[in-house]
Amino acid sequence: MQLLSGIDDLPRTANVRTQLMALWVTAISLALMLVAYAVFPGFWPPMSPEMSAEAVADFYRNNAGWIRFSMVTFNLCGLMLLPLFCVVTVQIKRMAAQSQAFAYCYLMATISGGTIFALAATIFATAAYRPNRDADLILVLNDLGWIVFVAPVGMALIQNLMLALAIYFDNGARPVYPRWVGHFALVVALAMAPAAFSMTVTSGPFAWNGAISFWLRNIAFGTFLVVLLVVSWKAVHRQAIDEGLTE
Amino acid sequence: MRVSATVPVGGEPTLTDSQPPPSKRALSIAFWIFPGFFGLFGVVFVVLLRVIPPPRPDVDNKYITDYFETHHSSILIGLGLLCLVFGGSAVANGFITYHMKRMSSGPVFAYVYMGGLAVGSIPGMLLVAVCWGAAALRPDREPRIIAMLYDLGMLSFNGQLGCFATAYLAFAIAILVDKNNIFPKWLAYLTIWQIVTEVIATQMWQQTSGPFAWNGSIAFWLAVVVFGVWLNCQGLMLKKATDDHPAGTRPPD
Repeated sequence: MQLLSGIDDLPRTANVRTQLMALWVTAISLALMLVAYAVFPGFWPPMSPEMSAEAVADFYRNNAGWIRFSMVTFNLCGLMLLPLFCVVTVQIKRMAAQSQAFAYCYLMATISGGTIFALAATIFATAAYRPNRDADLILVLNDLGWIVFVAPVGMALIQNLMLALAIYFDNGARPVYPRWVGHFALVVALAMAPAAFSMTVTSGPFAWNGAISFWLRNIAFGTFLVVLLVVSWKAVHRQAIDEGLTE
Repeated sequence: MRVSATVPVGGEPTLTDSQPPPSKRALSIAFWIFPGFFGLFGVVFVVLLRVIPPPRPDVDNKYITDYFETHHSSILIGLGLLCLVFGGSAVANGFITYHMKRMSSGPVFAYVYMGGLAVGSIPGMLLVAVCWGAAALRPDREPRIIAMLYDLGMLSFNGQLGCFATAYLAFAIAILVDKNNIFPKWLAYLTIWQIVTEVIATQMWQQTSGPFAWNGSIAFWLAVVVFGVWLNCQGLMLKKATDDHPAGTRPPD
């Protein structure tokens, strides 16, 4: 986006410019996370909850390097989703009066959800830190990591629900996000919801390594992040036009 | 969901009809998530996870492994239900934050309240379910590891002090300074008792039995009664604040 010349010193220029920077930060970190995701040995295929303690410990011993690389990258880049979510918060605050209540709920869910993500990467990387640790201790770290990584979808669900409600109640003449973004957010929330109960079974599509709890959940959320990035870029662009900063 | 018919159908909306008619439906939806969430919170922690009323701290590994074996399924279902709905806390407290932003006391304590509880919901609510879920997941795990998960869960849930004390302090001060009377002053004085229970709860970190232990008459039961009274009052006053909220207005940025 090319901003007009001669508007450099206006506060509203900085507001648009920093939002664009934030979206770039998240876009780059998303690309890096995709790499980390692709090289995490524990995801190809996702480790089964039925593995024995010895098998889990061997797995960490044999793949310590790649596990460390991917989890450190997750830890470093995962929270860089925050700039995107904060742009969304700023955009919700531009909406009609009724939608305002959802902005703070959205931001709170974002903070809590980010903390959970950081915790999962920390636990996985700790398991890989001393490959000679007793197998039953590596197993308990592995269990904790998988539980924290897969099951607590509640904050992401609320983020999407709040965003959808904010979009539906943004009934002014110039909606910030198009309405289909709200529908899409709800569909993604539904796709992620079953993963919450993944610990009640140890095999099949609902287990933590299953088609629904693992693949559907992760692909749905990943796709949603890319879409949210694009529609947020467009929303900031419209803000720039509305405020006379670009054409 | 079709909310309002002010946007002309089948044509590009124009800048001239910018204001939708004032309505409070969004506020009412945000409010009702408060009682809905805390109802489910009760089901999860009392009926499923069996964290309330608390099991004893002064027990051996045998008692603990038996406890997880007896409640194996309900703990794992409790973990699942909590993982599904615990975002409701972000709405309940985010909506309180929204009302705090309407106060004349400035935004600082609204943000403190939001931050304190956004952080607190992880160690103070989720972690016990994660630890107990890991303990219940493999009944054949070594008893000493299961016992450690038991302690880590109970202490993180009952012994979480600062996140909540900070949020309560922010809530109380904001109400007392506020001149818009968003919440009544007596709610601030009641909130101070919540801080007192957090200070008393410090003792459960060094007691394994007696009134100050995590299942004690003072450190737990008194705190639960105060919490119950306070939460109900906060919910009722949130309803009142939402009802009194003029439609079509928004808090300052």
